[in-house]
Amino acid sequence: MSINPELRRRSVLTGATALAAAPAVIGARAEAAAMPRDLTVAVPDNLVTLDPADANDTLSQGSCRLMLEGLYGFDENMKIIPKLATGYKANAMATEFTFTLHQGVKFHDGTPFNAEAVKINLERIANPANHLKRQSLLSVLDHVEVVNEHTAKVVLKTPFGAFIPTVAHPALALSSPAAIKKYGKDLGRNPVGTGPFIFTSWTPDTLKVHASPHYWVKGLPHMRTVTIRSVPENGSRLAMLQTGEAQYIFPMPPELVATIAHNPKITLVNRQSIIIHGAAMNTMKKPFNDVRVRQALNYAVDKEAFIKIVYNGYADQMDSPEPPLLSFYKKQGAWPYDVAKAKKLLAEAGYPNGFETEMWGANNTLVIRGMQFLQQQFAAVGVKLKVSPLEVGLLISKVYAAPNPQEATVQMNYGGWSSSTGDADWGLRPLFTKEAFPPKMFNVAYLDDPAVNKDIADGLHTADPKARAAAYADAQKRIWQDCPWVWLDIDRIVDARASNLQGAYRLPDGGLLLNDAHFA
Amino acid sequence: MLGYFLRRLGGTIPVLLAVSLFAFGFVRLLPGDPARLIAGPDATLQDVQAVRERLGLDQPLWQQYVRYMASTVRLSLGTSARSGQPVLTEIGERFMPTFNLSVVAMVWSCIVGVGLGVLSGVKRGNWIDQGSMVVAVSGISFPSFWLGLLLIDLCSVRLGWLPTGGDHDWKSYVMPAFTLGLPAAAVMARFTRSAFVEVAQEDYVRTARSKGLPERVVIWRHAFRNALIPVLTLAGLQFGFLLGGAIVIETVFSWPGLGRLLVESVSYRDYPVIQAEILLFSTEFVLINLLIDLLYAVVNPEIRLR
Amino acid sequence: MSATTAGGRAGSIHSPLAEFWRRFRRKHIALVSGAVILLLVTASVAAPLIAPYGPAVPDYNNVLAGPSLAHLCGTDTFGRDILSRIIWGGRISLSVGFISVALGGLVGVVMGLVSGYFGGLIDSFSMRLCDVLLAFPGILLAIGVVAVLGPGIDNVIYAVAVFSVPVFARLVRGSTLALKQTLYVQAARSIGVSRFKLMFQHILPGALPAVIVYFSLRIGSSILVAASLSFIGLGAQPPSPEWGAMLADGRSYLGVADQMTLFPGLAIFITALAFNLLGDGLRDALDQKLR
Repeated sequence: MSINPELRRRSVLTGATALAAAPAVIGARAEAAAMPRDLTVAVPDNLVTLDPADANDTLSQGSCRLMLEGLYGFDENMKIIPKLATGYKANAMATEFTFTLHQGVKFHDGTPFNAEAVKINLERIANPANHLKRQSLLSVLDHVEVVNEHTAKVVLKTPFGAFIPTVAHPALALSSPAAIKKYGKDLGRNPVGTGPFIFTSWTPDTLKVHASPHYWVKGLPHMRTVTIRSVPENGSRLAMLQTGEAQYIFPMPPELVATIAHNPKITLVNRQSIIIHGAAMNTMKKPFNDVRVRQALNYAVDKEAFIKIVYNGYADQMDSPEPPLLSFYKKQGAWPYDVAKAKKLLAEAGYPNGFETEMWGANNTLVIRGMQFLQQQFAAVGVKLKVSPLEVGLLISKVYAAPNPQEATVQMNYGGWSSSTGDADWGLRPLFTKEAFPPKMFNVAYLDDPAVNKDIADGLHTADPKARAAAYADAQKRIWQDCPWVWLDIDRIVDARASNLQGAYRLPDGGLLLNDAHFA
Repeated sequence: MLGYFLRRLGGTIPVLLAVSLFAFGFVRLLPGDPARLIAGPDATLQDVQAVRERLGLDQPLWQQYVRYMASTVRLSLGTSARSGQPVLTEIGERFMPTFNLSVVAMVWSCIVGVGLGVLSGVKRGNWIDQGSMVVAVSGISFPSFWLGLLLIDLCSVRLGWLPTGGDHDWKSYVMPAFTLGLPAAAVMARFTRSAFVEVAQEDYVRTARSKGLPERVVIWRHAFRNALIPVLTLAGLQFGFLLGGAIVIETVFSWPGLGRLLVESVSYRDYPVIQAEILLFSTEFVLINLLIDLLYAVVNPEIRLR
Repeated sequence: MSATTAGGRAGSIHSPLAEFWRRFRRKHIALVSGAVILLLVTASVAAPLIAPYGPAVPDYNNVLAGPSLAHLCGTDTFGRDILSRIIWGGRISLSVGFISVALGGLVGVVMGLVSGYFGGLIDSFSMRLCDVLLAFPGILLAIGVVAVLGPGIDNVIYAVAVFSVPVFARLVRGSTLALKQTLYVQAARSIGVSRFKLMFQHILPGALPAVIVYFSLRIGSSILVAASLSFIGLGAQPPSPEWGAMLADGRSYLGVADQMTLFPGLAIFITALAFNLLGDGLRDALDQKLR
């Protein structure tokens, strides 16, 4: 990753002041509180990086949130809230966004937070030469103007109505310009932000952070240290909570909920999410090019039983292509379980005796269980399903190998989605529009409905909430009726915590939020 | 023997070069696009391209090979595609936990395995023999995730004696080392017994016994040394396997070792890390088996190494 | 070390096979084990006749039920009868376990004999090949196999066999190195016995005990290895009831529905134990000096 020359020159200027300010060192704070103030969270995977602009997994992003903040952010219900910005104004075209910034905020290394820092950060992410994994989030960015010390104007190349959700995305959290300059491509191992916690250490499976004494939000954080430990085995993670080695664990496997039901020291966390699952059908190939076949399979699945068997009851039924917590969600109704109707539709479509087809999916237990369930349900309407769980590399090479829809070999694909911006656009466009055909994005169903394409484009090209709502309502209605997927479920966030731990959350997209965590 | 040793040692270099070429080719023949896997599940084609360029995977294959060989020969092994860290650091961080655990597991399983094997070999057919057989077969057919989780439930959750996982102090070694060493101990016990029964019937042992030497001397001085060859072979192989990192044990006891690194690097097709791991594991096996070959000659001087 | 020490044979008027049977017959435990294996094989062959339920028939109103009269081993996530799945699964697991080890053993034994007997370049080459095979991560090999050959139970057998080859080879080579220096082999060579005969008639029997022990130990672990391959998309695919895969399924339910791990685990254990006890009996009966 090379840093563009202009960026480098600017960083030198701010860097000089940063070096003068001694990094804040945390000594032992003399305060001897009776309440424990050290939190350990057990998570399923290892972190990948602590540079949010280069992170694409919710775990790394959520961990970054301990130390770094953006102009906007999400609260625990994924509502957008201002963080380092106090407000914004947009022009009607949705091409210019002017942010006013919090005053008196400093990065952990002492560098002041100001419009220049915003410019350096956003332009760093947007610059293709930096090859950051989240570059595409800001590919619409033209440039950032420093209006004054505390006002930054972001100018976009094209209208982009979903820009504020994008700014709230954890990838756009801001790093200290001095640190960007100092660490270069090693920024991911040396995070310096404005957040409530300061980076301590990161070994392969453990991240440690400690409280920032100068955090700009008064009274926060409550914890002295936070440790994030990767514990891949479900049973071992639960054991850590039982022994008190951890105070928050996720995910809590739904099948093991019964084992903690009577333990007063442990509380189950059960919240709504925006993670949806379904089985995409290749709408361009027989037999799924007939909408009656796709609808028949939606009638053929008992969603209630699906949730009971696969998720031990911890999931919700879908009633729209969007989950309710996503912006501009509009309820559409349900595809009830009706075997007779499914058989009738199949017969009308010319498949009175069903047909044979294959479903691809990942090789984790939940997906395999889900696919086996579908296999059993489809059998009842005469559809013989071959289930192929695939190692992730094999899976993507199969799904994305086809350069165009004609060469695609996918018949059905069991998959999931969560819109990391919390916005309707990223919830629908990558899955159901023509521009999203693999290998570009994830429209594995190869749905190509001109009306849907137009709705989604319209929604993107305005910042007017009413116009956007109308566009996405129409898109949702059409997609729901057209059934490019067998609509399956909306996951729930199922975690477990020590009963005396408050204020620790996972957002509906699965990201961690620990700013307000405290023991009561 | 020194000459043999040096020749074999010198011989490992072409072997490892061949392995590195093989590893380079093999990982690239595997289906799965590292750029897309590393870019993540909701990356656009644009993001994927950016990652591809950053990793140099858009370059012609021969250029990639030259770059790879240059870094291999210098023993720097390149940087991880996924984390951007030097591969040497990445592997170094994980090697010691795996190595320490392997040594502990190996030591106890050799002592217990060989001891149990000798006991059942000497008293063939009695309850020790039958009992150790059942224990041994359980040791190898009992899935380690099951045993691991049962141990955690008992020793950590119920009794509170041991930590559930991680590599912190000696306490955190107890359960993983036990679980890891059990199949190895089982194999050692079975082989020691078999070899022992075999050798105990040899003429010279009978002769020694008929000369009136005490049973203990006969067993240790005569029978044992010759029984060692298959046992040594197996011990070497077991140690080699352990050093490769045990995926299940590391998962159950959240041990930051090479096994989990391997799984991660494979699922992201992190070529530099996979290549380095293959190279490391091959080196381990080549060296261990060289050592075992030398030990053959020590144990049985009739074996001539050429 | 054994079969050719002629002195021990004085007065033997039986054919070698009859002699072997005479001795094997006296090993009661081994006989019982053989019967158990026969029973397991028969049960899997006759699965359609004896299994109380179909292996893939779900019952959503009776999921994760403990053992009862209707379901002797309880039911799994989908309410399928675990006992029936074990009986059907024997077809896959027993054949994968046995055939893969047999294939791997055959190749490995020949490789080890040749390598140990000839020494020199052949030895160096084949043993370094073994080192690389041993070192090569199984998960990579499996992904390679599934990519090239596709999924399917035959391919699992090949993959698992490949894992077994180097161990057999090293075991046999070690013994061969020692055996070729023994008096009787030297003597046989000096009177002009062919190399082939030397290796297979004079050296192999001495290496056989270790081979039998490893062979019988390996069957149990092969069933488990095959299961781990099914997770990469190589092995038996859902809903086929393979023992190892059933065990892996049960992993998520430990502490909630232990029957899902217990019974498939028991099936693997009994199979492994029977093969080991049988192996012990065989090795003793083949060893002519043990009376």
